Amino acid sequence: MTDATSPSRSEVLQGTLEMLTLKALTLQPMHGWGISIRLRQISGDVFDVNQGSLYPALQRMLRRGWIRAYYADSENNRKARYYEITREGRRQLELQMAEWEHSSRAVNRVLRFAPQGG
Amino acid sequence: MAWYHALRTAFDALVRRSRAEREMDDEMRFHLEMEARRLVTERGLSEEEARWAAARAFGGVERHKEAVRDERGTSWLEELVQDARFGFRTLRRRPGFTTVASLTLALGIGASTALFGVVKAVLLTPLPYGNPQGIAVLWSAWKGFDQTWLSYDEYEGWKSDIPAFANVGLFSDGAVNLTENGESERLRAGFIDRNVLPVLGVEPVLGRGFTAEEDVPNGPDVIILGHDVWQRRFGADPSVIGRAIQVNGRATVVVGVMPAGFKLPLDFGADGATMAWLPLGTDAASNGAIAGPAFVRGGGNHGFHAVARLSPGATVDQANGQLADRVAQLGRDGIYPKEQQFRAFAVGVEEQVVGRLEPVLLVVFAAVGFVLLIACANVAGLLLVHGEQRRREMALRVALGAGAQRLTRQLLTETAVLAGLGGTLGVALAALGVWLVRTTAPAALPRVGETRLDPMVLGFALGVAMLAALFAGMLPALQARAVAPGTELRDGGRSATSGPGRLRWRQTLVAAEVALAVVLVVGAGLMIRSVANLFAIDAGFRPDGVLTMRLSTPATWYPDSVRVSAFHDELRRRVSALPGVTAVGLVRILPLASEMGDWGLQVEGYTPPPNQGTPGDWQVVTPGYFEAMRLRLVQGRFFDERDRMDAPPAMIINRRFAELYLQGRSPLGARVRVGGRNSTRAPYTVVGVVDNVRHNGLTREVKAQFYAPQPQFATNPGNTSRTMALVVRGDQDPKLLIGPVRSVIRGLDPRLPISEVRTMNEVVEQAIAAPRFAMELLGLFGVLALVLSAIGIFGIVAQVVASRTQEFGIRAALGATPRNLLMLSLGSGVRQALAGLVVGVAAALVLTRTMTTMLHGVTPNDPVTFATVVVVTAVVAVAASLVPARRAAKTDLARVMTG
Repeated sequence: MTDATSPSRSEVLQGTLEMLTLKALTLQPMHGWGISIRLRQISGDVFDVNQGSLYPALQRMLRRGWIRAYYADSENNRKARYYEITREGRRQLELQMAEWEHSSRAVNRVLRFAPQGG
Repeated sequence: MAWYHALRTAFDALVRRSRAEREMDDEMRFHLEMEARRLVTERGLSEEEARWAAARAFGGVERHKEAVRDERGTSWLEELVQDARFGFRTLRRRPGFTTVASLTLALGIGASTALFGVVKAVLLTPLPYGNPQGIAVLWSAWKGFDQTWLSYDEYEGWKSDIPAFANVGLFSDGAVNLTENGESERLRAGFIDRNVLPVLGVEPVLGRGFTAEEDVPNGPDVIILGHDVWQRRFGADPSVIGRAIQVNGRATVVVGVMPAGFKLPLDFGADGATMAWLPLGTDAASNGAIAGPAFVRGGGNHGFHAVARLSPGATVDQANGQLADRVAQLGRDGIYPKEQQFRAFAVGVEEQVVGRLEPVLLVVFAAVGFVLLIACANVAGLLLVHGEQRRREMALRVALGAGAQRLTRQLLTETAVLAGLGGTLGVALAALGVWLVRTTAPAALPRVGETRLDPMVLGFALGVAMLAALFAGMLPALQARAVAPGTELRDGGRSATSGPGRLRWRQTLVAAEVALAVVLVVGAGLMIRSVANLFAIDAGFRPDGVLTMRLSTPATWYPDSVRVSAFHDELRRRVSALPGVTAVGLVRILPLASEMGDWGLQVEGYTPPPNQGTPGDWQVVTPGYFEAMRLRLVQGRFFDERDRMDAPPAMIINRRFAELYLQGRSPLGARVRVGGRNSTRAPYTVVGVVDNVRHNGLTREVKAQFYAPQPQFATNPGNTSRTMALVVRGDQDPKLLIGPVRSVIRGLDPRLPISEVRTMNEVVEQAIAAPRFAMELLGLFGVLALVLSAIGIFGIVAQVVASRTQEFGIRAALGATPRNLLMLSLGSGVRQALAGLVVGVAAALVLTRTMTTMLHGVTPNDPVTFATVVVVTAVVAVAASLVPARRAAKTDLARVMTG
């Protein structure tokens, strides 16, 4: 009954997904599909695999108060649910980016030294 | 801020769940449409292809939705609501089960809540006094009088000599005529000295209490009004303070108004509570007593009540010790003769007011607790069956990953929903019960009429409902935890009805129910027999068909006994002329309504033992009283029109009087003087002997009593009896006579106020109100308990029969007769009932001992009661088993195998 994806990988992905979504929302409020297009554009279709997984992430960030949702007219003249980043969300983004910087620098260091060790 | 968002999301989840679902649906559909359109325009796919591609890229919509839902509500609150919704749905699918279970709980919760309301009003709500723990009521007692008035000397003596008393207040009661705006009313009034209100720790809400200047003989005419009178007669007008109103025909100044609900300590549970208060205004001289802490030899006149405020730190027990010492001293000093067996004692005011009712209430409250337990056990039993039928569902849920804890919680929540339903219904039942108690509670039960459904009582209902949910739901929840999905699902559902272990739980529950029911029904049976015994007591008169009312002839309008007698004669003449009236008379004090005092007598030819008097309770009557009350004449004659004021004084005595003072003599013609040794009044001649009347209480000892004709008694010892009870016997419902008799009185003298209009049967009922109250409630709860246990037995037999249908079919095929099958299934119910009976009888033997003081004429282990209860319970158990067992008897193989 459990998902085929291992939890560790999905967690990593989830955290990244959140960070990227927050980053995308710093530019302007967007609806879900807009965010997914934006993510694909930024990441070069890395997140094309499972567009639907964006929505649970959005819901979680809503619950945590990082983003907020409102309804507005969309490009095809239908009401769509737009998300915008909150102050808490910006703070969270900064935190996550700092952590990412920190850990990726560490990873990079390891990767850089790895060939000499091997 | 995170908590705010969490709360908000949870709120959304709760309140706007369906909206959130719709929005999520819209949002995902929007995504898919936009993506498909993009694919059409950017990649040139056909509409159809684009839709497929978009869906593929999105991933499983339902899976994502589920993930969103998970993110939306992982709060306990949402799970709770989910469980509750689920519970509601489950319950709605089984309306029969739900109705029976919630009604059962409602009965238990409703009955216990209503009774808790009574317990709270009577035992938990403090009396309306300042620091009631520090107040005691004082009493005197001697041979023949267990609890009676104090003398003025005793009041002064205790006040100065008993260190445990900080202050003592003296009071008595009576009645006054209040005339306002031409309308007269007879009010019960208290005569209180200036210390009574300070001792009780109560101040008037308006104005003030009595001052020392007002509390003197022949002091100024002042009055304190009760809240009720102030509202009713003076429209709650505060300017009434300082105004002169007409009391007993005299201008009397209102100095105070007491708070609502204020009563003197002895007015709780009394027939007529005092509603206005006047200064007692007495002193030693006006009572023939000695001023200061000294005592008249022999004790003097006893006619006062007293309340004491205990000194800081002193207890009622200490006060009683000091009183006993002081009385012993009086005995040694020869002031109170030993033979009199004089005693003085204090009773804490709370004990005084509700002490008599407390054991009764506690027993009844315990009984209602039993009913609640039985109700819970029954619901637990029902839930167990319900659980049996859901084992496959549970197994499936476990298999799908529901944790045991989650499952337990869900089942408990379901029970909680049930208890919520039951609780809501129960509160409605409790409201009905409280209304019934308030409207029907006899005045003789102190404070019961004050029962209310207040927040505390409602809180109790909530608590009981929650406990009931926990209690009833625990067993089924534990049972569900033991579900092993593998076996349940493999078995294919056929055997998923009842394993032996689970049945045993239900059997134990049913046996426990029967045991509890047996205890209750035994209690009820004992009370029924006890009350029947009380009813069977020969009170010495016949109350049926008798109407009574109190009537007084104030000295202002009827200055002497001649006029009072003339009025009574005319009244009797006119009332007896009314259609349906067979006899009319007047009496000083109605039997069983209030206690009577005694006079010292001189009976010619009788010498009392040294230092003992010849006391006789005195009753003053007019001709017609004996006939109206149907007293039995033993010898001689009743009073009639011969016994006028100027005729030779005639007396009628009771049988006890004759036995005590006229042993071995013919009582007729005996001569009796009323008053002390040096009384110079003309002696009465005994003209008749009547059978004993139990005047002071159905179970109290009968004392020597004499009856004197009203006109003669007035001239003889002095004062005329101004307040008399009119006693009218009719040949129909006495209530029908109220109107006609009232208009006769109005026709004679419209100024005369009438009070305490009641039938003699009502008077008798007041006298046995407490045991009757206990009997009615215990009876009700006993029946409830029996019915609930019957349902329990019915349930278990039905379950056994259902689970063994196949077996029975095979047995039938092998030659078992319907009778065999009937006995087989009958046994399953009767066995539990038997076990319950044995345990119940044993428990009842122990528990009914607590009822000893409530019983009259039966012992707590009365064999008749126990035997009857055993038979009744056995019959109920067999009857309850018979219905489902008959179904078993009809089992036939063909139906079982094809069905």
